[in-house]
Amino acid sequence: MSTNPRDMPKREGAFEREPARRVFAAELRECRYQFKDGEDEKSPTFVLLPTGERSNRIFIVGTLTEKTRQGDQNIFYRGRVVDPTGTFFVMAGSYQPEAMQQLAKIETPAFVAVIGKPSLYQKPDGSFMNSVRVESITVVDKDTRDLWVLDTATHTLDRIDAYNNGTDPDVIKAKEQYPGMDPAVFRRTAYDALAQIKI
Amino acid sequence: MNMDYSETAERISRKFSKSGQAIDIKKIESKLRRLVDEFGVQPQEAERSVTNELNKEFNIPGTGPGSSSGKAGGTNEQKKIADAVPGEWITIVGKVVALSTPASPSIAQSGIIADDSGAIRFVAWAKSNAPAMAEGAWYRIESAVVDEFKGIANLKIHSGTSVKELGTEESLIPSAVPVRDLHTGIGCVRAKVVQEWDASHERMLQAGLLGDESGTIKFVIWKEPGKEKLAVGGVYNIFYAQVDEFNGRLSLNLNTATIMQEDGDLPVSGGESIVKGSIVHIAPGSGIIKRCPVEGCNRALSRQNYCPIHEIQPKFVYDLRIKGWLDDGEKTHNILLQRDAVESLTGISLDAAREIAENNPLGMDEVFIRMRDAVLGRYITCHGREIDGRVLVNKCERLNFESSEHAALLNRAGGVS
Repeated sequence: MSTNPRDMPKREGAFEREPARRVFAAELRECRYQFKDGEDEKSPTFVLLPTGERSNRIFIVGTLTEKTRQGDQNIFYRGRVVDPTGTFFVMAGSYQPEAMQQLAKIETPAFVAVIGKPSLYQKPDGSFMNSVRVESITVVDKDTRDLWVLDTATHTLDRIDAYNNGTDPDVIKAKEQYPGMDPAVFRRTAYDALAQIKI
Repeated sequence: MNMDYSETAERISRKFSKSGQAIDIKKIESKLRRLVDEFGVQPQEAERSVTNELNKEFNIPGTGPGSSSGKAGGTNEQKKIADAVPGEWITIVGKVVALSTPASPSIAQSGIIADDSGAIRFVAWAKSNAPAMAEGAWYRIESAVVDEFKGIANLKIHSGTSVKELGTEESLIPSAVPVRDLHTGIGCVRAKVVQEWDASHERMLQAGLLGDESGTIKFVIWKEPGKEKLAVGGVYNIFYAQVDEFNGRLSLNLNTATIMQEDGDLPVSGGESIVKGSIVHIAPGSGIIKRCPVEGCNRALSRQNYCPIHEIQPKFVYDLRIKGWLDDGEKTHNILLQRDAVESLTGISLDAAREIAENNPLGMDEVFIRMRDAVLGRYITCHGREIDGRVLVNKCERLNFESSEHAALLNRAGGVS
């Protein structure tokens, strides 16, 4: 008889998937700092939100207003996803074939839900550009968009509260990296976004 | 019936005050009351489990390998089995409650020996020349060594150990503990079979989930002559099962256990969880799948209808499932939607899915795509049981927009700025 626990089936280890943060376009636009957590080549890269939270993945719901196909050999798609506070620039290339096909199929305008990785580029003129590399994009209804606004407003307000407490290491980092930033502006952003939902 | 626990609590407290720990008697009493009144634990067992819990809390005495097992002599007094600590030489009196086939020729006998305080696995080395012990008989075992094997305390009977049969016929009634209070070693529970899982190994007779009011635990029965499967929904008294720990999770190995089915039902509440969020990923293997038709197998087949155990199965059975990640912005939950949940969430029934799979150039992929497009990015609430970090969802619904929540958020955002 075997009582050897090693004979038992292997289960998934302690893998923790990075959560998809909820952030309005107006806040993501202000990001200027990204960092790697760890030395490894495969360590995840995080964009630090001005309200003091790291994000390796975000979940956004908005209106896909435009999409363009670019490149000859390496085809990729760019798109603009608009929320009540601004615009997300999304892209999907041949490294994300499924996401690219999904994006290629969608007729604009449409409400879309996007799961993707934020990244930060500095343009030659020194200005910053935030874009979201799409992991998946699907057409959704207006209800989902409205739920997202509530969800994102809640998370934004929670982050502002945590920022004002000021104890989290990422909050401290945000205060260093974004010295002129007053997170109160994002409270206003959240309010404006909520106010645009018609009941 | 309202019992008085003050005497027991007093006794426990005295035990600890000897070693210099002052413990609130009220606290002990409430722990006892909880175990006995809420969980139906027998008072004696409750006393033991509270004492053990406090022992752990105050780290009394040396739970680590304090005295090295090489040193003979010293502490070798008669002890209760529950007080056996790895690294010690001890003498116990107990009843052999289970014998199992030795795993190696260097072992003459292995099994479980119990007294009224608890039970422990034992191993008698072939070299020890100890007399063969019989199941159900009482023995006095002198100068055995307690050690730890795979995290479980084990009594080693070696050449310096004396084993004497006592000839008494005292009955020993083991008392069950709540599932939540099980710890590695030997345990007794009264629990209901709440789920049966796909056997993941050909030597496995049955695997599944046992539960009582306090929680749930995985169980395994390995194939062995005379072993029978448990009935799903059945309530069992399980005495002297081995509690293993693997990847930080406990599981019950029932091969050593004495199992008695009981009439009636047992409420199982533990493990039920509700998770909310948006679906951020649908994993491959979702949608319509084929399952192995061999009774008790039910594994998902490959595209070529191949079952890892039963090979090619052209008469497969269709099923629906969605594997994916549900994300609330702070944490991502691994979810597995079962057929009913898939049907209600996607609006695609099993029959409709089969129709699509059989009549579409993309076949089963078409079902995957349609289901993905119907649920990805949506906010849902899932009800189910969390097992090994995955929520098995039996019911789920779309989240609705609540205008009261909207109003409250407007207030919150518009308030102080």
